[in-house]
Amino acid sequence: MTPALPDTVAPVAFGSARLLAGVSGGVSNELVRHRSVHGPPRPRDLATLVSEAAAVRLLGRGGAGFPVATKLVATPPGERTEVVVNGSESEPLSRKDRTLMVLTPHLVLDGAVTVARALGTRRVTVAVHDRESAVSLRNAVADRQRVEDEPEQIRVRHQPARFVSGEIRAVLEGLEGRPAVPPGRRALPSQRGLRGAPTFASNAETFAQLALLVSLGVARYAEVGAPEEPGTTLLTLAGDVAHGGVVEVPTGLPLTALTGAGAGPLLVGGYHGRWLDAPGDLVLSRPSLRERGLPLNAGVVARLPAGTCCLAEVVAVSTWLADQSAGQCGPCLFGVAAVARGVVDLLHGRAAPQVAHRLAGLAGRGACAHPDGTAAFVGTALTVLADEVDLHQRRGACGRPYLGVLPVRDGSSR
Amino acid sequence: MKIEIDWTRCDGHGLCSLLLAENLTADAAGFPLIHTTEVAPSVTRHARRAVASCPALALRLEPSRPH
Repeated sequence: MTPALPDTVAPVAFGSARLLAGVSGGVSNELVRHRSVHGPPRPRDLATLVSEAAAVRLLGRGGAGFPVATKLVATPPGERTEVVVNGSESEPLSRKDRTLMVLTPHLVLDGAVTVARALGTRRVTVAVHDRESAVSLRNAVADRQRVEDEPEQIRVRHQPARFVSGEIRAVLEGLEGRPAVPPGRRALPSQRGLRGAPTFASNAETFAQLALLVSLGVARYAEVGAPEEPGTTLLTLAGDVAHGGVVEVPTGLPLTALTGAGAGPLLVGGYHGRWLDAPGDLVLSRPSLRERGLPLNAGVVARLPAGTCCLAEVVAVSTWLADQSAGQCGPCLFGVAAVARGVVDLLHGRAAPQVAHRLAGLAGRGACAHPDGTAAFVGTALTVLADEVDLHQRRGACGRPYLGVLPVRDGSSR
Repeated sequence: MKIEIDWTRCDGHGLCSLLLAENLTADAAGFPLIHTTEVAPSVTRHARRAVASCPALALRLEPSRPH
């Protein structure tokens, strides 16, 4: 079978199309059409926005899944305050943010403008990794200024970059003209963000969800989805799944409903995610997955087809992860490379006794989540693929070809 | 107080693990392994010496978060 590459198919909504309303056929919403689908911008004061975000337990859709209401409360309002939309989608399998920014850019911008007005600022920046999103957003901003005379000056910044550059603190470094790598000192953007100003920064989908929330109101927003995280979420599904590509689904669905029949190992949470034998009784929502030790991260779910050498797929990704280290932190630079070499040894049937030790040495030892995420990806892969590793040890190979289901090119810098 | 390591600065000189063995050991390459970040009052003096001795200025002492 051929691997499903997510960017070749139009996004689909399973159930109610909300973020994807009007665009699930793959046609983008220009301003007039957008307004007819989602209505005019609805201003909210900060207290109302906070209480609405809290009422639907809205969580950030980038990676960390931080509560949006808490982040809003922590950001001091004022004219100096910055709003940063992080559209720097750096996960090779993920297409959800690009899909939003290309097909429904005004929804993302409505969310950003709502937050900016609630925080009493006009300073809005959108940071993206890819050209298509940058073009789409710039056109959208120009339309809004021409047709609606929008007072906010929305800057769209296109900065091609690597995996670790999608993290918000790395994005802020890039926006200030420095290399887009995570800084060593831990400072919260809400206190000291862009140019030292208080900054509300979140993922592109988070802003689109906020725009939906103020447009629908709490009750209608929470009509679908699981009680612990109402509403819908975007996912990118890949590999041996019923429908590959970007999907919008109500939270609370059983994971099996998305993966369909199939027996291959399952990856939840992308290249900093974790491997599973099977979806089991898992339910799709950030809180319920996190309870089971499975962060959804940027919403990538992939299953390897039966025809590929799973260990070779893991080798390809671990080697890429080693290459993606910013090279700033010793334990990551040397540790991730050593782990990747160890997995190559296992592929060729050689013993790699150092791998477990090297994986343990990555925990918590870096300026960003790269070493921990890599340890999660490789560590769980070696557990789930124990039989396959054993087969490679005994025979030097498993006999299956490497299909390259998990892409390792940097999809962002095309 | 608690110790914080700026991993982007740390070059694995390994002095900190010698001076603050209560909290840190070194891995094979000299990079510190933190056993506990919380610095006991009795070893604060050692911790300050470790911070001052780091050639890369990668080690800091920060106030513990109030509970």
